[in-house]
Amino acid sequence: MFGPTSILIAIIITAVVLIALVVLKPSITVTRGGKILAFVSLFVFPVLGGSMGISEHVERSKNTEFCTSCHVMKDYGKSLLIDDSSYIPAGHFQNNRVPRDSACYTCHTDYAMYGGFRAKLRGLRHVYSQYVGKIPDKIELYNPYNNRECLHCHQGARSFEEGTTHNVEEGRLDLIKANKLSCLSTGCHSATHDVKNLPNLTFWSPDKAKKDDAGAAKDAGAESNQ
Amino acid sequence: MENVTRMERRLCIAGMLIGLGLLIELASLLWSHPIAFILFIAAGGLLIAAGILVYLYSLVSGGDSVAQDTGK
Repeated sequence: MFGPTSILIAIIITAVVLIALVVLKPSITVTRGGKILAFVSLFVFPVLGGSMGISEHVERSKNTEFCTSCHVMKDYGKSLLIDDSSYIPAGHFQNNRVPRDSACYTCHTDYAMYGGFRAKLRGLRHVYSQYVGKIPDKIELYNPYNNRECLHCHQGARSFEEGTTHNVEEGRLDLIKANKLSCLSTGCHSATHDVKNLPNLTFWSPDKAKKDDAGAAKDAGAESNQ
Repeated sequence: MENVTRMERRLCIAGMLIGLGLLIELASLLWSHPIAFILFIAAGGLLIAAGILVYLYSLVSGGDSVAQDTGK
């Protein structure tokens, strides 16, 4: 009903009204009540509103829409809809293996101490490059993709631990877990965003899939009535 | 017009800075875009922080300035 954003907006509006009282009639701060009012409106609410605002913006920055709102990222967003689940990002996005509303953040944040914080600092650098600096001709990761990010979800899963190719030879699983053999190695899960090849690919449309499902259900209902 | 002491004037400045910062924060919340985040941090956050500092300064320097302003 009332989410954090609504509460934050209510705090900001209340603070602005109380601040207006202090600004328009500063002499009220002579009384004890006025001093408390000034303290609450000029210190407590702004600190509360500011820290909640940071938290809210940081949460929003995890959204897929947020990441793909910059022009340079649009193709990467589009690659999540490639109609071929052998493409790792598309397969994960379309089959809900990652939350769709935070797909980029889920796979591209270091699952290490301060990983989220480092991701935000890099995000600020990306905004700088987008609007002030120069966007690199080729977008690439800062470091080779670490298996740790995959293992955050897959480690312990039966399909991963007992998978035939993961155990095809003695010690392969250990190499994967130690990040000595990349999950994205050629011949394994190497199909990722592939933005250069997008014009040659077909795309899945979630809305179309829903309509097709609804149509199939309707046809099935009509047939059962006959 | 009401005789405003130096401390009250500082409170007004603090209030205006914080109020403006909060309004910028409010505006940034209506937009989910990297620019909104920068707007919030660089403009809103800076104004709120400056306003809080002016308010705290008015508290620690309030007593003597009242005496100066009223000529006592």
